[in-house]
Amino acid sequence: MLEVRDFSAGYQSNDVIHDIRFHVEPGEAVMIIGSNGAGKTTLFRSLCGLLPHSSGRVNFDGVDITGRPAETIARLGLRFVAAERHLFPRMTVKENLSLGAYPHRPDPDTLSTVLELFPRLAERQRQRAGTMSGGEQQMLAVGRALMSNPRLLVLDEPSTGLAPLLAQAAYQALHVMRARGLTVLVAEQQVPLAMAFSDRGYVLENGFVRLEGTTKELAANPRVRSAYLGVV
Amino acid sequence: MTASILDGIVLGFQFGLLGAGLTLVYGMGGVLNLAHGQMGVIAAITTSLAMDAGASVLPAVGLGLLAGGLLGLLLDRTILRPVYRLRDEARVLLSLLLTLGVAFIIDGFLNWRYPLMALNLFISGGTVEILGVPMRRGSLLASAITLIIMAALFVFFRYTIQGQAVRSVIEDEEGARLVGIDPNRMMRLVLVLSGVLAALVAITRSMVIPVDVQAGFPITVFALIVAVVGGLGSVPGALLAGIILGIVNSIAASYIGTFMSLVILLAAAAVTILIRPSGLLGVPE
Repeated sequence: MLEVRDFSAGYQSNDVIHDIRFHVEPGEAVMIIGSNGAGKTTLFRSLCGLLPHSSGRVNFDGVDITGRPAETIARLGLRFVAAERHLFPRMTVKENLSLGAYPHRPDPDTLSTVLELFPRLAERQRQRAGTMSGGEQQMLAVGRALMSNPRLLVLDEPSTGLAPLLAQAAYQALHVMRARGLTVLVAEQQVPLAMAFSDRGYVLENGFVRLEGTTKELAANPRVRSAYLGVV
Repeated sequence: MTASILDGIVLGFQFGLLGAGLTLVYGMGGVLNLAHGQMGVIAAITTSLAMDAGASVLPAVGLGLLAGGLLGLLLDRTILRPVYRLRDEARVLLSLLLTLGVAFIIDGFLNWRYPLMALNLFISGGTVEILGVPMRRGSLLASAITLIIMAALFVFFRYTIQGQAVRSVIEDEEGARLVGIDPNRMMRLVLVLSGVLAALVAITRSMVIPVDVQAGFPITVFALIVAVVGGLGSVPGALLAGIILGIVNSIAASYIGTFMSLVILLAAAAVTILIRPSGLLGVPE
């Protein structure tokens, strides 16, 4: 579904990520783990068309999306939920959700699925997005992305700024969507959360993919255990 | 006093629409369009030319509105191209200089080709009494049209998907791109809309006083004051500021004198900015 080959990107002439290769198959949940500053956000932002890349190829569902603008990639069905969420703060919850379906009118079935998944949003449809708590805003960001019935959902640090219980709730919602066949790619520095959720993963360090494997393999790897799982 | 306030409200509706167009373009693209008034004048002169050529009022007005919108589109496709490549302050400054140049070119051309032309759509039929004040039919019709346009704007921005998309770009451009909205397309839409709004103001204004080829810069100045007082980027702010400033202008004109009304208007704007730097309904930085 998503195939990334020899992908490098960064700011100005300094590449932050180098020769990244990874792939996501339909129905999979794939994690990219790494510490703060490893390059996860740069990788996702350049994949999704928000940052220029310097070399490499990205193929999404048979379409070459390398260097295409963010709005085109979003319309092809690859939806990115940024760590900063990028909601429309002075617009209502309902308007934020409706815009997720742009350029179409929101589909009532999809809307009720999203509201069922996040009952808090259902209660607060008329509230302005900017006045909600961090956890609610995260739900809204995911809900907005789901409104388009995406083929691939890409999330950057969905646990950012959330209390542990809320972070777990965020992943629970993703579990539900996975069970319905959604393909998910997630970057996370709270590795245990991502591991409980994903089938496979890649370890990003200093802008390079250092390790890859199934979640089980990675969880058993001594290096991963000491660096990311706090096991000595 | 009642008369001044009613006059002010009539003027204020037009101020509001003027400010709304300018503020939308600024809020969305960081472009300060100093040729805003000229879009209205081009529309007025087009309408006038069409009527001289024998067209009846409505088709002529239609042509005028089209001309205003087309000028907005033309700005987007030509002179603003290099502006879109810049960010932040540089973008505002370049847009200001280039559109000022466009304004001079349009003014120069109109003064050369049609120095004495003015659009004059006076409505005959005398006055109608409202709250004991005789109001000219022209003012009332102009206000009615302006109010309908305001309501249409409200419906567009609140209830249509394209209107919501325009707002979303003003709210968070990156967020808009992530849901598949092309900010460049929205900017084009907004420039065409602001051209049509400027055209509407110039044409409805001509139902009260003639709109001549020199009217461009004064219209831009009013639009700018209204947009700044309302809060740059806020359409409801512009509409509110328009009505307040319209009343201030009209009271100042009848109790102190027309010569002072612009000074008082500017003073009112300055005081607003001192108290609320982001404008009446603007978002504090």
